[in-house]
Amino acid sequence: MGELGLIHQLLVTIGGHEFVINIDVVIMSWIVFTILLIFGYLSARKKDIFPGPVQALGELFVKSLYSLTEDALDKEMAKTYAPLITALFLFLVCSNWIGMIPHMHEPTKDLNTPLSLGILGFVLANYAGIKEKGIKEYLKEYLEPIFFMMPLNVIGELAKIVSISFRLFGNIMGGSIIILVVSYLTWSLVLPPFLNMFFVIFVGAIQAFVFTMLTVVYISVQVK
Amino acid sequence: MAIEGTDLVRAAAFLGAGLAMGLGAIGPGVGEGMAAAKACEAIGKNPKEAGLLTRTMLVGQAVSESTGIYSLVIALLLLFVV
Amino acid sequence: MEYDINFWLKIAAVSSGGICMGLGAMGAAIGEGYTAAMANEAISRNPNNSGEIFKSMLVGQAIAESASIFALVVAMILLFTNFEATSFVMVWALLGAGLAMGFGAIGSGVGSGFPAGAACLGMSRQPAMGNKLTTNMLIGSAVCQTPSIFSLVIAFILLFTNFDLRPLWPNWAAVFGAGLAAGLSAIGSGIGGGIVAKENCEGISRSPESAGTATNIMLLGQAITQTPAILGLLVAFILIFRVYPETELISPAFALLGSGLCIGIGAIGPGIGEGIASSGGVKWISRNLKHTGDITRLMLVGMAVAESTAIYALVIALVLIFVV
Repeated sequence: MGELGLIHQLLVTIGGHEFVINIDVVIMSWIVFTILLIFGYLSARKKDIFPGPVQALGELFVKSLYSLTEDALDKEMAKTYAPLITALFLFLVCSNWIGMIPHMHEPTKDLNTPLSLGILGFVLANYAGIKEKGIKEYLKEYLEPIFFMMPLNVIGELAKIVSISFRLFGNIMGGSIIILVVSYLTWSLVLPPFLNMFFVIFVGAIQAFVFTMLTVVYISVQVK
Repeated sequence: MAIEGTDLVRAAAFLGAGLAMGLGAIGPGVGEGMAAAKACEAIGKNPKEAGLLTRTMLVGQAVSESTGIYSLVIALLLLFVV
Repeated sequence: MEYDINFWLKIAAVSSGGICMGLGAMGAAIGEGYTAAMANEAISRNPNNSGEIFKSMLVGQAIAESASIFALVVAMILLFTNFEATSFVMVWALLGAGLAMGFGAIGSGVGSGFPAGAACLGMSRQPAMGNKLTTNMLIGSAVCQTPSIFSLVIAFILLFTNFDLRPLWPNWAAVFGAGLAAGLSAIGSGIGGGIVAKENCEGISRSPESAGTATNIMLLGQAITQTPAILGLLVAFILIFRVYPETELISPAFALLGSGLCIGIGAIGPGIGEGIASSGGVKWISRNLKHTGDITRLMLVGMAVAESTAIYALVIALVLIFVV
């Protein structure tokens, strides 16, 4: 089971600083981008009033995520944020499901991907809050209920990044560990397909949805 | 390994700080959750009074939080004063 | 009598395997018992639907069981792997792995029993909603498993990381504390997530038209309920992967052990409390669908306050690791 902790890394030195790049994650992320680009091209190629199968699938995604965003924010703001939320969900679902194909790794299995997406959502939410309420109101919220609670409020806010990214990472990583271990114990015969169904398709879709929805909620909490 | 007296006291203080905050967080956590659940119920029954109910919930939670803050204070005292 | 390190590794492995399976069996058994009790009540109310209720009881119990199956896998690995190490830190890492998975399975086992029981009761009340209830039960209990999956990750990291280069003091406390942090902190979130999913299944059986909205809110509530477990996971990661200098004193070791216990025990209460808070939200959204916005906002505010004690525990744990 040595492949559990194995990470292919590339060391790059630029101007005296060493940068470590996890090659697997980069390659797999680009594969996911390619799949999504092809999907986007195919679904928007012929904009027919009677949609073909790919267009119908694309419309389904866009429409349901638009209405999800509208429920949490209002109609005006949904126009600004829904495209990003839709893109986030599609990327996460595609990355979580790609682990089903043998020799492919989920980009979300590496903590870097969920963490960067979590930071993205955090920055976006705080930007939206400052834009909507003004910097004074925004800063005042950290001083509630009493001024010396400020450090705890800041830590509570930063804990959001931790919780959103570790949740996704832990689930995907745990699922792949279980599949790997059970495959070793049962010689890859019977159980792994079912485990793949549960941990990759089911849990992967749920966790992608949860991540997306939490990002929307963080924005809406900051705005209101 | 020789064990000195002050070292032993510090070790006990650190362990005690962890236990104080850990155990002290159980009660307020559960209690505040109950307050919030009942507040949701009240809004579900009487949505017009949302503002009043939110304020009442926050005050009630702040009071039940105070035991958690006592634990925090004791933990910090154990860490930095003792 | 002189014993070498392999002897101690073996002792740690077998005792930790036993503890792991013993603790891990508790939660699932309670959850499954609750499901069976509810299924009996449901069948007595509506004997005509007994076939479907029986089926959903079995499915629900199978999912509640998965937490204890994780514990079984870890226990088997502990029993049948030949661990080799030159540092005594590994002995403590094995003990920590067993405790992490053992405690971690309790919450998810108990928690997943709740939605399964509520789904059985709901089927006796609204036989037409059977499929919807089964789907919701599956989603709810799958999300309930997340805290035990976190403990599994920590247990595996503890089992398969090489600790040979770490000095015994204070690293034994770091690995042991990491196991305690991940394991104990999963208890509250597991039970809390189960309470949320239970109210969701009950709400769907009462007012089927609320199914979509209530499920979204349930997922949101469960996700936030898991935050204390994730804070425990974070502290466990820091404890395992930070490098601690060798020391002659015993106090740094106890600081690390204390930080693991602090976030571990401290996450239990907020986990259960946030679960109760969001179960109230989910319950009343399904009864009063018009005011979903108001109730959701209040639920989020209440959960944020309930979480603050977990944040205090996190602060103390981080101070114990980094400052003192």
